[in-house]
Amino acid sequence: MTSVALRIAGAHGDGVESSGALVIKVAARNGLHVVAYRGYGSIIRGGHCWYQVRMGDSEMNSYGDGIDILIALNQESIENQKSHLNDKAVVIYDPSKIKVDTLDASKYRLTPIPLLDIAITASGDPIMRNTVALGAAIRFLGIDISAFAEVLKGQFGRKGESVVNQNVKAATEGYNYQGVQTIYSLRGDGKHRYSLDGNTALSIGAYAAGCKFYSAYPMTPASSILHWFAAHEDKGVMPKQVEDELAAINMAIGASVAGVRSMCGTSGGGFSLMVEGLGLAGMIETPLVVVESQRSGPSTGVPTKTEQGDILFVMHASQGEFPRIVVAPRSIKESFKVAADAFNLADRYQVPVIIMMDLYLSEHVETLDSLDTESVHIDRGKVVTENTDGGRFKRYLITDDGVSPRSIPGSKGLEFVAGSDEHTEFGDLVTDAHAGLDWAIEVRKNMHSKRMRKIETMLKNESVFVPEVLNDGADYFLVTFGSTTGPALDAINLLKAGGKNFGLISFSYLMPLDKEKTKKLLEGRKLINVEVNYTGQLAQVIRMNTGIEITQSILKYDGEAFTAEEIARQALALVSK
Amino acid sequence: MVDTNAAVKPKQILTSGVKPIWCPGCGDFGVQAGINKALSDLGIPKENAVIVSGIGCSSSMPHPFATYGVHSLHGRLLPVAAGVKLANDDLTVIGAGGDGDGYGIGVGHLVHNARRNVDLTYIVMNNEIYGLTTGQASPTSLFGMKTKSTPFGSIENPENPVGLALASGATYVARAFSGDPMHMAEMIKGAILHKGFSLIDVFSPCVTFNNLNTFDWFRKRVYKLDSVGHDATSISAALERSLEAEKTNWEKVPIGLFYKVEKPHYAQLDMTLKKGSLLKQPMPTKDQVGEILEEYK
Ligand SMILES: Cc1ncc(C[n+]2csc(CCOP(=O)(O)OP(=O)(O)O)c2C)c(N)n1
Ligand code: SF4
Ligand SMILES: [Mg+2]
Repeated sequence: MTSVALRIAGAHGDGVESSGALVIKVAARNGLHVVAYRGYGSIIRGGHCWYQVRMGDSEMNSYGDGIDILIALNQESIENQKSHLNDKAVVIYDPSKIKVDTLDASKYRLTPIPLLDIAITASGDPIMRNTVALGAAIRFLGIDISAFAEVLKGQFGRKGESVVNQNVKAATEGYNYQGVQTIYSLRGDGKHRYSLDGNTALSIGAYAAGCKFYSAYPMTPASSILHWFAAHEDKGVMPKQVEDELAAINMAIGASVAGVRSMCGTSGGGFSLMVEGLGLAGMIETPLVVVESQRSGPSTGVPTKTEQGDILFVMHASQGEFPRIVVAPRSIKESFKVAADAFNLADRYQVPVIIMMDLYLSEHVETLDSLDTESVHIDRGKVVTENTDGGRFKRYLITDDGVSPRSIPGSKGLEFVAGSDEHTEFGDLVTDAHAGLDWAIEVRKNMHSKRMRKIETMLKNESVFVPEVLNDGADYFLVTFGSTTGPALDAINLLKAGGKNFGLISFSYLMPLDKEKTKKLLEGRKLINVEVNYTGQLAQVIRMNTGIEITQSILKYDGEAFTAEEIARQALALVSK
Repeated sequence: MVDTNAAVKPKQILTSGVKPIWCPGCGDFGVQAGINKALSDLGIPKENAVIVSGIGCSSSMPHPFATYGVHSLHGRLLPVAAGVKLANDDLTVIGAGGDGDGYGIGVGHLVHNARRNVDLTYIVMNNEIYGLTTGQASPTSLFGMKTKSTPFGSIENPENPVGLALASGATYVARAFSGDPMHMAEMIKGAILHKGFSLIDVFSPCVTFNNLNTFDWFRKRVYKLDSVGHDATSISAALERSLEAEKTNWEKVPIGLFYKVEKPHYAQLDMTLKKGSLLKQPMPTKDQVGEILEEYK
């Protein structure tokens, strides 16, 4: 496999993000595969940010460690990025603005281009310096200028022909600038690929599953789900920005009680406010999907940086006991599938389903050949529309599988009260006036075990509550959940190239877990858990469920996602001890 | 204590058969009667009514009704009710809870649902006390009031819920008294018929933990806005009246309709809801999903 990592670095407001998006488009439309990730400290104008676009001729699962081509839009970019430069990396910069004397000229291919001058001559607009630089980068990559021109046309067509022409001119000047030549030759397979981030894939999955109501209070890195629903309001969905996360979850619960597939989303801080509502959904057995996109905590933490530090919290959030499903998609592709399935699981078992994203998964972009839209089907579970026996409706009927028939307001003869207090099969309270009476104690016991029985039922009926094992006969296994699975996948390939036989055991569903099967899959293997947190939360979950203690771990909590090289390096060090 | 149930003879009885859990003589019985009369007079089928409550004595309101109900969390009845209503605009959604629930822990939702003008009828049983937790001060407890949590007298000023709702943009604001359930039923009917956010603040005495604001205490002080020719179309007149209790040191306390204005309500403005009830809108087809996916090519 050949891959090249291009990084554009500059200040917020320099057009770093839109430049990255352009490169992704060029690659995706020219049969290449892409993994791209945006690093930003804050969203304030002037703050340092970068966008790394890794392009390759086959599928990749991580955004790459070092930089092969750097476009430095300001001085700070040189200083901040130099430690990431690979040997012989191309550094494109404007000599009128930027000094490169801190870089060893013999190690890198320094490529000064008067970006600003060219931009102004070509268009009069200084922002087109990015286009000039991109034109040069495209040449280094070995992509034809016409492919870039095509994307520019699509991008700026709305602004008129002259804007398109100016951009193409600027790009061509960069492409043809002296000293700029093809050094990589990335060969695409001609396929036109989709490029999307995790939150987009998740949103499309929810949409495909018939989710029509999404409520949220803005919080990075979940906000883009709200933006997605808002941008697609004309497609029959209802985005609702509300006053706080208390409202977000309770409104979604109300909409779900009324029969509409509903979702709410936030990050850890907002989820903290949602906790009581989660218990309400558990108690009144209302289907609900909640997205929790993690960022570095605790408290406000590092709002723009990633972490996988909330799983134990989310698994145990809210007082008392109730069944819930917690799932952490392992890739962008899986974010779509998990979201689409979540609504069926929520409906089938009348439980809250929490989708654990993280900033890296929510925001990084990958190319995909397809999303599995064909397999999406809608199962609303035990919804009843008619009263068949004429008696008062037992919404919370005690059943063997723990799941009771559910009615939707508007259905005649099926009225009931959904109550957060413990209740009878009809939904009548057994608290306040009756708590402690013999019959009420009996009702409580039976109702609680009815709800909890749903866990056994889902474990029996669904096959998803076990990890996936890759490379079964390996000597060692990396153990991951969620987004760390991508870089770990690439890491085992790197390790293989280095002569070490590693496998991967990855979890997407974290709760409930099929303890027996999970134990069987893990037992007798040399395991190393790889997680973006301090305490090794997945290892704790594994121990809790199987008794197996993982003694070696690779942990990271500096705000960045793992790169494959980093995992491979550390894994090698651990097994070579 | 009055037998408030006997005073009301509704056309349609909407009881589920579940006995309310309130203390004998509790003001909430009168509110139950008022809601019952309003719903039955208007002929709203029980399957199309949803009574949503929070937590508190008053919040057990949904249970005696044969309608749908959600007995939700302390302070969260409004978001739940708004969720139900936004999902299915064909339903009549009534929120019913306490002063602690709606004016204390959940007060933010009052402001926001009022300004959103969601078509809800929100009834707050205001007993100036936390009943269910056995008698602590509430946000409407009067200055100086002695309660379990303020044994030396409250040093906080009571909230003005009518004024707050008006200032927040509620399009129907009324007050009623549990001792006059017929009048209350009229206020509730008006609120249900009104398309937009309605608040009805109801003095609903707690006979167990509030021995200051009793039925008799209110009876001596309340008067009907109708009787003084109040102009309920004027927001300034309404705001002025909302201050009267405070200004007269609770000697003159108006009940009745403070304010009513016709404005587009949320579902009339929302792009999706304009096309009909969310519940009835079709699930997306595979083609529609595919079309959206094409945006990312
Ligand atoms: C989050 C939360 N905090 C506290 C409580 C305890 N609690 C239950 S009811 C209540 C106050 C009830 O007062 P009010 O809403 O005025 O209702 P009333 O009983 O007076 O009708 C409190 C504090 C709770 N259930 N939930
Ligand atoms: S404690 Fe007060 S509010 Fe609660 S039921 Fe008794 S009288 Fe009513
Ligand atoms: Mg109260």
